[in-house]
Amino acid sequence: MSIAIEAAGLSKVFGSSVKAVDNVSFQVQEGEVFGFLGPNGAGKTTTVGMLTTGLRPSQGTASILGIDVMAKPAEIRRRIGVIFQESTADDDLTGRENLRLAAAMYAVPVSETGRRVQQLLDMLQLGDAADRRVRTYSGGMRRRLEIAASLVHTPPVLFLDEPTLGLDPQARAGIADTIRTLRKEGGHTFFLTTHYLDEADTLCDRIAIIDHGQIRAIGTPSELKEKVGGDVVTIVPTRPDGEHADVFAKVPGVLGVSWTNGSYRLKALRGESIVPAAVQAALQADVGLASVSVKRPSLDEVFLEFTGREYREEEGPSATDWAVRVQRFRGGAR
Amino acid sequence: MTIREFVALTQRELLKWIRAPIGIVSSLMLPFFYLLLFGQSLNLGKLLSIGGVPPQEAAAIYLGAPDYFSYFSVGMVGFIMLFTGLFAGANVIFARRFGTLKKETAAPVPREVIFGSRVTAGVLRGVIFGSVVFAIAIAFAHLPGLNGLTITGTSGVVGVVEIVLAMAFVTALFSSIFIGLGFLTEQIESYFALVNLVNLPVLFSSNALFPTSLFPSWLQNIAAWNPVSLAVDVMRENCFGSEAYYPYTALQYLGLLAGITLVFLVVFAAVVRWSLRPR
Repeated sequence: MSIAIEAAGLSKVFGSSVKAVDNVSFQVQEGEVFGFLGPNGAGKTTTVGMLTTGLRPSQGTASILGIDVMAKPAEIRRRIGVIFQESTADDDLTGRENLRLAAAMYAVPVSETGRRVQQLLDMLQLGDAADRRVRTYSGGMRRRLEIAASLVHTPPVLFLDEPTLGLDPQARAGIADTIRTLRKEGGHTFFLTTHYLDEADTLCDRIAIIDHGQIRAIGTPSELKEKVGGDVVTIVPTRPDGEHADVFAKVPGVLGVSWTNGSYRLKALRGESIVPAAVQAALQADVGLASVSVKRPSLDEVFLEFTGREYREEEGPSATDWAVRVQRFRGGAR
Repeated sequence: MTIREFVALTQRELLKWIRAPIGIVSSLMLPFFYLLLFGQSLNLGKLLSIGGVPPQEAAAIYLGAPDYFSYFSVGMVGFIMLFTGLFAGANVIFARRFGTLKKETAAPVPREVIFGSRVTAGVLRGVIFGSVVFAIAIAFAHLPGLNGLTITGTSGVVGVVEIVLAMAFVTALFSSIFIGLGFLTEQIESYFALVNLVNLPVLFSSNALFPTSLFPSWLQNIAAWNPVSLAVDVMRENCFGSEAYYPYTALQYLGLLAGITLVFLVVFAAVVRWSLRPR
C-alpha cells in the first residue's frame, strides 16, 4: 500500500503571531479513511487549506500521491476532490447544472459528463431534485450536492472538511452512509475533519487528535481507546453504601476501583472477562447487585486523556477567524 | 481544454443574469428614463438657437448628428456600456461571499479563465444592453410627441460591426477594471463606493451627454482620451456618416480603444491571478 497524503512538519502562522497549525506530521495510506478530530479552532480547516493548495504553509512540506503540493498546485487540484465546510454550489443554477459546471471545470470528457452527472445524482439521491434550483434545497441536499460535485472527476483523494456541520441527525447519518458507500466502492482515500467524536469513531480507520494546532495522538479508534486504559465495568449495588470497593479490587484483571454516583467503577483492559469473577466476589461478600454493565471508553475519554481537557463541541472562533480579525484590525487587505 | 472551462463559466454567469429578470429590467430603467425624460426635456438645439447659433454651426457642435437627441442617444449607449462594466465586479464579491468562488479556485481552472469568463459575460451583457438602448432610441423616433434617434449614416454591415466592436471593447475595459477590483475588495459597500466614485467623473468627462466643443479646453483634452468617448466616437461616426467632423476615422478610434482595452485586460488578469495566489 502506498502513501496518499503526507505532511511533514507542516505549520501555518497567520500574521505574525497566530499559529493555527504547529509542526504537524502524518501519513495517510491509499484507501484509508483518515480523520482529523478536534474542536473548532484546532487547526483542522487550515491543514485542509494547505493540503488542497488554498493556503501556503509557513513551514514544512506536504505531498499528495507523491506530488509536492506547493510545487505543482494545478496537478494536485486535478487529483483531489474538496468538500468545503460551506456550500459552494450556485444557488441560481439547478443541481444538474452545478454538476455539469463542476465536470467542465475538472475537464471531464464531454461524452462522459451526462452519464457521470446522472450517476452521481442517483447515488446521492438527488435525482428528483436535479432540475430544481439549488436555492430550494435543504441543508442535507446541499451537502449531498457538494459531495457529488467533488466526485465528478473521480478523484483518488477526497478531502471532507466538516461534511456534516450544522446538519440534523438524520441528514448526518445520511452523509455518513454515503461516505461508507463510497468507501465500499473503493478507489478513494479520505481525509475527513470533524468535531463530532461519534463520527470519527464510526467512520475513520485512523484518527489524529488535533488541539491548538498540534497533533496529540494518532491511531485507530480502538488503539486510542486502549491507550486510555481499557473498559469500565459499572456495578450498581442494591445498597448504596460504597463499602465494598476492596472486594472488587481483589478480582483478577481489575486495574482500579472507584465509587462514584452510587456505583462501583472497575477499570479493566477487557471488561467482559472480569464480569463473572466480579459477580462471584460480590455474591461471596453478600453485596446485592442491581445492575452490571460494561462500557468501552469513548473518544470523549480519549480526548480528555490526550489534551488534558474535556471535549466541547462548540468553542470560540477558529484560529483562521482570529487571524482574519487580527489582519483586519491592522488594516490588512484581507 | 481551457476553452471548455471558459465556455462553461461564461455560460454560468449568463444563466445567472437571465434568471434575475428584475436586475435586467432595472439596469435598463436608467438609460430608458434618461432617453424618455432627460433627452426629451433638454433641447440643446433650442438653447443654441436662442443663443443665436446658426443651424449650420449647431450641426458642427453635434458633430454631424441631425439633432441633439440623436447625438445624445448614441452617447447613452456608451453610458450603458460604462454602467455594465462598473457593476460586472459585484458578482465576484457575491461569489466569494456565497462560496461559489471557492469551488472555482479549488478546481484546476487557470486563473485567467476565471477572470476572462466574467469579462466575456460582461461584454455580452453590455452589447445586448447597448443594442436595446439603440432600439429604444430608434423606436422613440416613430412615436408621436417624442424625440428619437435618426440614423443618417450609410456604412452598412461594416458600420454595424464597428459599432458592436466598440461596445464590446469599452465594456471589456471597464469590466476588467471592476472585476479586478471585485477580486481585491471583500466588502460590497467598498465596492459600490468605488463604483460611485468612478461613475460620474467618467461619464461627465466623456462626450456621451454633451458636445465636447462646449467644454473648457482642459476637459476637452480629458474627454478626447476617455474610453467612453472613443467608443461613442466610433458609434456616432458610423450612425451619422460624419467622418468630416472628426479628426480621425472610426477605425482609428476603434484601434486606439482596442489597444487601451488590451492593456487593461492584461494588467487586471495579472491582478486577479495575484489576488488568488495561495497565502
